[in-house]
Amino acid sequence: MILYLLKRLAVLLASTAVAAVAVFAFMAVLPGDPAEIALGVNATPDAVAELRKQFGTDRPAVAQFLDWAGGLLQGDFGTSYVTSSPIGPQIGDRLGVTLVLVLGGMVVALVLAVPLGTFAAVRHRDPLGAAISAASQLGIAIPAFLAGILLVFVFAVQAQALPSGGYVPIAESPGEWLRSLLLPWLSLGLVQGAVLTRYVRSAVLDVMREDYLRTARAKGRGSTGALWRHGLRNASIPVVTVLGLQLATLLIGAVVVERVFVIPGLGDLLLNGVAGRDLLLVQGVVMVLVAAVLLINFVVDVTYHLLDPRLR
Amino acid sequence: MRRIGIWIAAGGLLLATAACGGGSGNGSAGTGGTPKAQSLSVGFVAEPANLDFTSTEGAAIPQALLVNVYEGLVKLDQNGEIVPLLAEKWDVSPDRKTYTFTLRENVKFSGGAPFTADDVTFSLDRVKSDWKLKIKSQLDVIDKVEKKDDSTAVVTLKRPSNGFLYSMATRLGAMFSRTGVADLANKPVGTGPYVLSSWRRGDSIQLAANPSYWGTKPPLGAITLKYFKDATAMNNALLTGGIDVISSVQAPESLQQFADPGRFETVEGTTNGEVVLSMNNGRPPFDDKAVRQAVRHAIDHKALLDTAWAGRGQLIGSMTAPTDPWYEDRTGDYPYDPAKAKQLLGGKTYNVKMRIPNLPYAVNSAQVVKSQLAQVGINAEIEPLEFPARWLDQVFTKGDYDLSIINHVEPRDMGIFADKSYYFRYDNPEFGKLLAAADEGTEQEQTDDLKQAAKLLSDDAAADWLFLFPNLIVAKKGVTGLPKNAIAESFDFTALAKQ
Amino acid sequence: MSRRTSAKANRGRMNAGLLAGGALVALVVLTALVSFFWTPHDPTLVDAAGKLREPGGGYLLGADKFGRDTFSQLMVGARTTLYVGVVAVGIAAALGVPLGMAAGMTPRGWLSELIMRVNDLVFAFPALLLAVMLGAVYGAGTLTAMIAIGVATVPAFARVARAATLQVMVTDYILAARAAGRRRGAIALRHVLPNIGSMLIVQASVSFAIAILAEAALSFLGFGTRPPTPSWGRMLQESQELLFSTPRLALWPGIAIALAVLGFNLLGDGLRDFLDPKLRRIRAER
Repeated sequence: MILYLLKRLAVLLASTAVAAVAVFAFMAVLPGDPAEIALGVNATPDAVAELRKQFGTDRPAVAQFLDWAGGLLQGDFGTSYVTSSPIGPQIGDRLGVTLVLVLGGMVVALVLAVPLGTFAAVRHRDPLGAAISAASQLGIAIPAFLAGILLVFVFAVQAQALPSGGYVPIAESPGEWLRSLLLPWLSLGLVQGAVLTRYVRSAVLDVMREDYLRTARAKGRGSTGALWRHGLRNASIPVVTVLGLQLATLLIGAVVVERVFVIPGLGDLLLNGVAGRDLLLVQGVVMVLVAAVLLINFVVDVTYHLLDPRLR
Repeated sequence: MRRIGIWIAAGGLLLATAACGGGSGNGSAGTGGTPKAQSLSVGFVAEPANLDFTSTEGAAIPQALLVNVYEGLVKLDQNGEIVPLLAEKWDVSPDRKTYTFTLRENVKFSGGAPFTADDVTFSLDRVKSDWKLKIKSQLDVIDKVEKKDDSTAVVTLKRPSNGFLYSMATRLGAMFSRTGVADLANKPVGTGPYVLSSWRRGDSIQLAANPSYWGTKPPLGAITLKYFKDATAMNNALLTGGIDVISSVQAPESLQQFADPGRFETVEGTTNGEVVLSMNNGRPPFDDKAVRQAVRHAIDHKALLDTAWAGRGQLIGSMTAPTDPWYEDRTGDYPYDPAKAKQLLGGKTYNVKMRIPNLPYAVNSAQVVKSQLAQVGINAEIEPLEFPARWLDQVFTKGDYDLSIINHVEPRDMGIFADKSYYFRYDNPEFGKLLAAADEGTEQEQTDDLKQAAKLLSDDAAADWLFLFPNLIVAKKGVTGLPKNAIAESFDFTALAKQ
Repeated sequence: MSRRTSAKANRGRMNAGLLAGGALVALVVLTALVSFFWTPHDPTLVDAAGKLREPGGGYLLGADKFGRDTFSQLMVGARTTLYVGVVAVGIAAALGVPLGMAAGMTPRGWLSELIMRVNDLVFAFPALLLAVMLGAVYGAGTLTAMIAIGVATVPAFARVARAATLQVMVTDYILAARAAGRRRGAIALRHVLPNIGSMLIVQASVSFAIAILAEAALSFLGFGTRPPTPSWGRMLQESQELLFSTPRLALWPGIAIALAVLGFNLLGDGLRDFLDPKLRRIRAER
């Protein structure tokens, strides 16, 4: 196990390093010199050259990369060419907001999906079980932003019960913070919950066909009880995998929900950076997103190994 | 059965938090407190990338900061008149080349430094030395700026100029502190009634009343400028009390949501914003006047305004706004006439690139323009570019476009056509001469010359003018002091109040 | 024994899903094909007089604020949707399947390890992120959206192809072919590919559904199909401001997206059970 952990950790570090090179190389081919962009139309060549020196973009690409990567290791993302403020704290703030949004959405998804999916599997011959399956199929087919727009329409505009958007930091007002996040959580959670429900159902169905469960049933124990005791651990393996995948794609995927609900998250920062040609900022955000996905994959793999006795 | 339990639990959570949070608001609800502590939040479209309007193009920064945080010697009032601000009065020499400004006493910058004639010379010299905007050339007419004494500054011009004082009312005339320009991008230091209190990037800018303001204290204690990228999200925020004012409606079709006069108030006025269908005069096919004229005949402006902007706004026909003294309705120069357009094109067809900013009015208008141009044989491929950076880079800076659509919001901005390096690439020496004569002449001569210049632009089909952008503001009932016309660069908060 | 009966029952029931999914997909494909030859009206023709026209009189579903016929737009939108799906899934399969097969046929080699690690790396760039990055360089549009969605889907195909190949490689006929000294390429083409084909078709169907949703999200953010080319995602985005007064404008593209996604998902699930119930149990192992 320790050997596996070490090996997997090495892979994580190597992948992150390769990703950093890839992200940097990609940004380097972006058209537009930051100094020229910052100075605008009437800039003299001297001024551009001087600003390039100030930005450090006159140096060879390798030196720039090492500088950037070295900064990253110390948590320093550099200073934005456009806003002339440090990037790290901005990314930190936004990442916090997005994590709260995504994790809350995943909790809603889990709370919906585990009982519904299990129920749909145990009663897969009942009309009710089939109805849950059908509903989850439909839930998957609805774009998250459409769900968000509809929720705003119903709960905010019609019922006037919740704010239609905006984000209030928890330090400012915990109650408002919760209110501002309920609808976003719900719109992420409903759609992801529908996806998850199907995986839970199919995982539980698989487990129910396993021999030990049938043995338990044959021994006269209730199948639900046996499922509870033996099955859930096995059923959780594929579910954890899917959960990890969802989490990974949601970090950026949540941007549509951020847009609908005017939440200043990481995806929103990325889109702003792209629109404002804030290259260093975009580079930093992409790097954080990619590193986060690699990290999530790592955690999922390790969890997988811990959960599945066959792999140990 | 478990399913039902979950739904009840989730529903209960919603109701509970809805109840406990209801009404507390983010200060905008304005419950209790003295009138001084009142605050309002106003929804805006484009968040500034930074707060330095001396080096960053775009309307968002002066809109937030000019008059509110930074003040000039003079400002524009609601009628477009130039009125005193930091200058109590000014004298113009008989040859109209020397302006002597008498400064107000006891004015302090928000950093604490007193405002004196040294700051005037500093700020105006800085335009030439440090500013990076194209429009700074408007002040090239200044020969020198001198301090006579602490409260008197003298500006000498190279030649008489009607435009000089007007430019002084724009961001170019903003007064900076000699000790307050170290971090313009983040820490503005001005003399205005408001100071920047916080900036939550990607979300909002907070202004607080300046306690040491020299003039009448503003009625509100704080103002939140809240930024929305999505028109619908902004509408919803007003509908649900998240904001108190929509500063500029971006989805005019949705106005009927705010029709209830018991809850909302709509202000409809005029702006300086000419929505221009720019044609690249510098390269084929629009270097050919006949092709440009064909475009102007091919567009049904009434239909465009009705579909693209819900019929709000005004048809103009040239680069002047109805609030300009020299405005004339030029919509009759090129009436909608597809047959004439085809004739002008001589049966040829063209493929062109229409590179537009990804803003609602441009995306809407572009689809109408494309459809109408297709009728006469011009196939325009629409390419939306992220605004501001990508559009500024490709179209404005590099001039790599055939057609574009942009709202030119700067006041009295006909002069941009006189600059042949400007992205229109329009080059007609006669137009430049008219503008120069207008700037130097008497007021009457100015009006006459500019009328002629506007006619020349229209005749030359230097561009097409789709419509004049309307000033559409929606506010909660009880909000007062909203500017009816948006004819200056700033959104003036100084009169904004709540009953 | 009971397993067999349950599988059989499963198969019978899932056929309903297969039929429904097939019907929905066929409807989308047919609509798209017909739109090449005929639509009731020009879907991009602006007609101020017909602004927000109510349904009826040759305008089956009414018209939008530009006076454009909603039904015609939906028809051409189906074309855009399929176009994006086909190209994206095509890219993903063309890159992912050979890589996955190569990894599966050399399970313990460095090649397999390398492919799967690179695969993990690519997985860290979701479609939305890629589309935004590509859009920043080459401008937003249908092509960048398709490439982004396609590249982001490569890992899914590679994993499925690898997992299925691993299963097939231990079967007797492959062992026989290897014993007979057949070259790897030949084995891959003649024996492995046909046997993992059903899994790939299932994956393609599911990926298609995801691609449709991704295109809608990109259009919503302004990184998708350029106006005025009709796209369901953009129709939805454009109709937002009229959600209160003319909800039908958001309703129809919303229904179209939901039905298309539902169709491809049902088709995928149905195929999985129809082609081989046991395949359900093979998961893309990592």
